[in-house]
Amino acid sequence: MSTTEVSSKIEYSDSENRNALIAVKSHLIAGLLVFLLMMLAGLAMRAAQGTWLEIGADLFYQIMTVHGAGVVGAAMITSTGVQWYFLRQYVRLSNGVFWTNFFIFLTGVVLILGSIFVGKYGGAWTFLFPLPAISMGAWSAGAAAAFQLGLLIIGVGFLILYLDFGRAILARYGSLARALGLTQLFGKEPVNYKHPAAVVASTMVLIVNFMGIAAGAVVLVMGLVNLFYPEFKPDALLMKNLIYFFGHVVINATIYASVIAVYELLPRYTGRPWKTNKPFYAAWFAIVFMVMGVYPHHLLMDFPMPTWALITAQVLSFGSGLPVLVVTGYGALMIVYRSGITWSTSAKLLFLSMFGWAAGVIPAILDAMVTVNRTFHNTLWVPGHFHFYLLLGLLPMLIGFAYFLAGEGDRKERPKAVDSLGFYAYLIGAFMTSMVFLASGANSIPRRWAVHLPEWIGFAQAGTIAASLVVLGMLLFITRALISLPGANNPR
Amino acid sequence: MYPKAKQAWLLLAALVILALPPMQRFLEQSMVMHMLVQIPALAIIGWMIGKILPENWKNNIAPWNRWGITGIALAIIIMTYWMLPRVQDAAISEWPVELTKFITVPIMGMALGISWPQLNPIAQGVLKLEFWATFMRLGWLYLDLPDRLCANYLLSDQRVFGQLLLLAGSIWAVAWTLRITFGIKIINN
Repeated sequence: MSTTEVSSKIEYSDSENRNALIAVKSHLIAGLLVFLLMMLAGLAMRAAQGTWLEIGADLFYQIMTVHGAGVVGAAMITSTGVQWYFLRQYVRLSNGVFWTNFFIFLTGVVLILGSIFVGKYGGAWTFLFPLPAISMGAWSAGAAAAFQLGLLIIGVGFLILYLDFGRAILARYGSLARALGLTQLFGKEPVNYKHPAAVVASTMVLIVNFMGIAAGAVVLVMGLVNLFYPEFKPDALLMKNLIYFFGHVVINATIYASVIAVYELLPRYTGRPWKTNKPFYAAWFAIVFMVMGVYPHHLLMDFPMPTWALITAQVLSFGSGLPVLVVTGYGALMIVYRSGITWSTSAKLLFLSMFGWAAGVIPAILDAMVTVNRTFHNTLWVPGHFHFYLLLGLLPMLIGFAYFLAGEGDRKERPKAVDSLGFYAYLIGAFMTSMVFLASGANSIPRRWAVHLPEWIGFAQAGTIAASLVVLGMLLFITRALISLPGANNPR
Repeated sequence: MYPKAKQAWLLLAALVILALPPMQRFLEQSMVMHMLVQIPALAIIGWMIGKILPENWKNNIAPWNRWGITGIALAIIIMTYWMLPRVQDAAISEWPVELTKFITVPIMGMALGISWPQLNPIAQGVLKLEFWATFMRLGWLYLDLPDRLCANYLLSDQRVFGQLLLLAGSIWAVAWTLRITFGIKIINN
């Protein structure tokens, strides 16, 4: 039963709906496949650190670069598929623009892959000035430029898509403030419990990603200028600020785009509506600013940063995840509690994502303390945080949505043995992967090191075993998606 | 509202005033005046000429300018050309280049004025963000570059120009943000 009724959903023609479904499936399949490849890359890196696989340092850093950029790209394209699927039900979105972004994205991916595996670029996704220009012969300026150009092109594609979101939202709601529910929050309009959560979340994502991409559009071009005109030396700290603003906002926004699946699907599975209300609007309004304000927690060790910026980053980082997490986590618990929910794989994954999201922010909050950060930030503690957050928070939302789209919810079937095996292999593997990273960080093992000291190898080997379980789980999910998704009808 | 003929004469007069040698010297004596006053003034004149073009002229142009794409492409090419520092230098020291500027920049404004309303809102958004990003990128470059880009202008002038570009870009960003955040139904479905 569909309980997130809204006064008027948008009507599309059958051909538009068919085309849209193909587009969403393409986003999901492409994104999940990239995730799988990136997991294999991660597994290879952990195995190399654990001395179970021989990889040269140059190839290690190329793999690390593709892993970082690839995971962010896969998260963006897959979460956008989820977001677009639900948002188009409430505002009139263009299939053409959605496809355009997809093909621009693929073009950017080709450039990035070429820069890394042909041009040997291994300067990490962060392309921090001045590293791309001073590779000491490891890669050429052209390779670094192709990498940054690839990111720039992907940004342009998403910008086009967000402009379509903005156009459609403004056409229906008149202003972004109204779409965010601010007119209801501040009493200008009566509270409408049926105001779609998908619109509120999409408006937030639109605002922050627009800002993030704008910053990226500036900093990437400045990096390109430096590559070809080395006399131009921009302020390194300003470059770092813009890069982290861009990167942190973009990856952080993927979870806020994907959580729409929780708002839309848990009500279907529990038979209870997800009502939007004032605390919900307040939380999403707060998160607009928090997502944009927390990135300096990556710069806590940059002593020339203004003290006020660092204090703000620390305070915002403490609170950043909380508003939306509280309303979403509490809301999810409330609608599931004694609802008689059928624990399909989709429902399990969506519920798991609440845990991953809630628990995944805790290491980040610890790392955002200046005193802890000084010791922890350049260790594997930080990958521990974001692997927890992404593997157990973001990906379960995306895979849960894939199961829904494959028609699992319609059939009301119990999970098959292979789904259960995939679920538990993934859950245990992802949890172990993250915990091994956190334990490594707590033992001061540095991150971004191709070769590990003998004392650290045990951790890397444990991490390799954990990563193998993640790959096994993901492989089962992907196989299922590839078999079921292409022919599945639009779920009712 | 002035009749079209009167508007045309006023615009022509404005163009002539801008082309008068004392005015030219005054507006080209600093990079800020050259880039932020003279060139925008020429473009605005072109934009307004585009508005008052006879209908049959507009009808003749229309088949060549579907969805405003040709006009915008032309405007972007001209704009990019006049952003090159050596061209600015050449305009000051060589009269044929100066003449080219007085012809092409109003054409750019005209092309923008005719084509912008026809352009898809998504394309308008992409271009607006790109123009904004150009302000910020160039502002930063002009502020940080160790060398003079134009032989005719001082480094200090270049820096002031960079600061003003950053200021203009920031004001634009804030204005745009406020408009779409609190504005009322600005685009019809």
